[in-house]
Amino acid sequence: MAKLVLPAGLLVLALLGVPMLLMLRYSFNSFDPLYLMKEAFTFGNYARAVVDPYYQKILLTTVAVALASTLLTTLLAYGPAYWLARMEGRWKSKLTILTMFPLLVGGVVRSAGYMALLSSDGLINATLRGLGLITVPLQLLYTPGAVVFATVGIVLPYMILTLASVIESIPRQVEDAAANLGARPGTAFIRVLMPLSLPGVLAGSTLVFILCMNAYATPLLLGGPQFQMMAPAVYDQFARASNWPFGAALAFLLLVVTVALTTLGSSVIARRYKAG
Amino acid sequence: MKSLELVNIRKEYGDAVAVDDMNMTIRKGELVSLLGPSGCGKTTTLRMVAGFVAPSAGSVLIDGRDVTHRPPYERNTALVFQSYALFPHMSVAQNVAFGLEMRRMPRAEREAKSLEALRRVRLDHLAERYPRQLSGGQQQRVALARGLVLNPDVFLLDEPLSNLDAKLRAEVRSEIRGLQQALELTTLMVTHDQEEALTMSDGLVLMAGGRVRQSGSAQDLYERPADAFVADFVGRSNVLEGRVEGGSFRMKDGTALPGTAVPTARYYTLRPEKIALTSPDQGVPGTLREVLYLGAQTEYTVLLGTTPVTVIRATPGPDDTLARLRPGDPVGLRWNSADARLLDS
Amino acid sequence: MTKLSRRQFLATTSAAGASALLASPALAQSKELVVGTWGGTFGDLLKANVDEALLVPQGYDVLQEISGPVPRRTKLITERMQRRGSMDAALLADFDMHAAARVGALETLDAGNVPNYDTILPFLKKKTSVPLIYSAHVIVYRKDLVKTPPTSVQALWDPAYKGKIGLSDFLYTSNMAYAAVANGGTVDNYANAEKGVEGWKALEAKLLPSTEAVGQALASGDIWLTIISAARGYSWQKSGIDLAWCVPEEGAFPAVYEAGVPKNARHPEAGLAYMNALLTPDAQVAFAEKMGYLPTVKSAKISPELEARIGFSEAEQNRLWTPDLDFIMENQAGLLDTWNRILKG
Repeated sequence: MAKLVLPAGLLVLALLGVPMLLMLRYSFNSFDPLYLMKEAFTFGNYARAVVDPYYQKILLTTVAVALASTLLTTLLAYGPAYWLARMEGRWKSKLTILTMFPLLVGGVVRSAGYMALLSSDGLINATLRGLGLITVPLQLLYTPGAVVFATVGIVLPYMILTLASVIESIPRQVEDAAANLGARPGTAFIRVLMPLSLPGVLAGSTLVFILCMNAYATPLLLGGPQFQMMAPAVYDQFARASNWPFGAALAFLLLVVTVALTTLGSSVIARRYKAG
Repeated sequence: MKSLELVNIRKEYGDAVAVDDMNMTIRKGELVSLLGPSGCGKTTTLRMVAGFVAPSAGSVLIDGRDVTHRPPYERNTALVFQSYALFPHMSVAQNVAFGLEMRRMPRAEREAKSLEALRRVRLDHLAERYPRQLSGGQQQRVALARGLVLNPDVFLLDEPLSNLDAKLRAEVRSEIRGLQQALELTTLMVTHDQEEALTMSDGLVLMAGGRVRQSGSAQDLYERPADAFVADFVGRSNVLEGRVEGGSFRMKDGTALPGTAVPTARYYTLRPEKIALTSPDQGVPGTLREVLYLGAQTEYTVLLGTTPVTVIRATPGPDDTLARLRPGDPVGLRWNSADARLLDS
Repeated sequence: MTKLSRRQFLATTSAAGASALLASPALAQSKELVVGTWGGTFGDLLKANVDEALLVPQGYDVLQEISGPVPRRTKLITERMQRRGSMDAALLADFDMHAAARVGALETLDAGNVPNYDTILPFLKKKTSVPLIYSAHVIVYRKDLVKTPPTSVQALWDPAYKGKIGLSDFLYTSNMAYAAVANGGTVDNYANAEKGVEGWKALEAKLLPSTEAVGQALASGDIWLTIISAARGYSWQKSGIDLAWCVPEEGAFPAVYEAGVPKNARHPEAGLAYMNALLTPDAQVAFAEKMGYLPTVKSAKISPELEARIGFSEAEQNRLWTPDLDFIMENQAGLLDTWNRILKG
């Protein structure tokens, strides 16, 4: 077995680790307009990424959008996840597949779909105009709200499926027991279902938060050129400014902030529930 | 005072009838067992009493109050689940105090009461443990304490012993019965195990196919089964098919059995322990086919004609003539005709 | 200037050239020709009028490797020290091609290896690349909405057009050249470009994420005027938008697209054949008719009607700026940073 696992493990390590290490090394190089970069060992790129108010604002926007999207996704996903988890019979598998269906279509395509929904002559504006509710189209596209809305739509299936699998593992009898002992549905949810599904909430929101922090297509297509988030900013450095060292530094800054926030978030939530 | 009453309860799932026009009464302080094979509707009945399943028709009365349309959390019942359904994220004490907390009892009072309930099941020393740190038997007792601390109007037990090993089962059986009697809890227990039902209950309700087949005391069901199904399900019984002919019962293979005064019957039922084994000339003659040694008792299978009949006797001593019987030997069967029950269905 | 170490270089190319492995199979046939280019309408026109019309008959098997301009430029620069590069011909805007030429990545071209070389218009001739098409980034405006036809770059800062000025995010180099010229700077130093961009910010100029978005905004009247190639203005005009364009009296930014052959091309003769094909009159005319770009060779003749709509008068031609490509190359990252900070910060 070890003979089989070792080469596979090394391959995975090479595929995941080597490009990361390479990028890490690049982030300490210095930029050169002609030769892309000069070998160096400087913290200048990181210093610029951290100190520059322009990039601070981009990072802050990214964190704010990711937090808002994660929170909203969790709230929206719980109901459907519970419903799916407690469903029985042939509809259950059909609906599970239906939930996974959007994942078969890439985020770019789905973002484009949200563009068609939100643009000034899109479905929403056309409907509102058709109903005579508005005369001037509402500015829905190219707003932070559009980014959060579309991001939530895109990550929702991940959250529903993660939560559903955890809720499914909570015996229904435990919920019945709470009701039998006098807990109203709301109380039963807060005291029993919620704490027991916390691992799912944590896993789901961590996954979703990471996806949101690294969102590329959605902020680019729905936020418009004036709306800046980290992943497009990183891409900008690589593909437009050709500044690989600074792009790599921004990427690592994003990575570090994401890891720090997810660790902090899960430990705070876990502790709060243990204390309560 | 009648404490739990089910009046013409019916439950349908689509075209399927799970419980059909069921009537049942449990007096205050009594333990009644709902007994029957799986799928007979006993669990659905229990869930209707707890409020998890809404009856299609009929009503549930607790202490004379109609609770048919009350949600579970507004009925003062306490259900001990087959799987115990303890809250894994709460300590034993928190589990037991949960119901009291829902009833808005002040903290100090509910802590004292939970500890008292835990003392009753001899688990007060484990109050701070979590369910996963307890054995199956201990978890069962926590579940009991969690229910009885509420002083419920109706105590509901769903197959309470099925997850315990055989040795523990007898112990918990008497513990539950002891608590139930000491606290005078009106109790409905669901079980498929007839031994459990016979030993623990004041009354039994035997269900099959969603209908009550017979209700009464253990003796009623055992000694006077209403039909062949009851005779077969409660305890062991020889259920021999045939008909009454000229004052005696003739089995399908033609063998005649000592008759009774009934004019018609389809079944001749006889408990194995009521039959004596004699020499062929002293009873209905047959052939010994099998001898099964069970320790204190021995089980004999005797062919009357071509029909096998089971006989259970105390295991004979080494000098007894019965000890020398071997399969193939001719034997005679004798019983008191009053012990035989002839049934139409 | 410190060059990349060999180790560094290899690491870089292995990351950048992952797709090169796919594009150039080991068992390359002698007639294979890999062209690094844009896709979309541009790629389709190349395929129909150059690849299939001219090179396939000569026995070449043309493979388009489609990417964005910066990755393509990066590839030219990073692959130059490898024995074999991934492209036989590469297409880029003049300022990107200039960077590749500066690091010595491109083959020298002349009439000796590209027979059509001498037909190139004199002002577009370069040592290591051939011009494929050209136009200029001019002021394109809605004729029906902009009442006084603009004549000066200052029209782009006219407060009357507050909220109606559109800016393509992609064309920041050209846009900032306009901003510099409008504020006393030149295309050689981009001085005061910042001031112009801030002026746009104050006038709530609309930043548009793609060329298509500019077209849509013009069509819907969201914007009234913008800086974009005259060729685009022509093709949108054809699609029914009431547009006109002008080369301001101060001049306009030339948009020249060029092609070159990497020194380490696998099939240099194929790359050279491609250069020659690009300069063929038929191919040149096709680009003019379909996309509104002007021919770069004397030998290509377009109809007077078309010439009137897409061509530049001699005076206009003479007004086109000649940017300092070295300056742009050195400062492009800084220009983009300023652009982003002001308009997106």
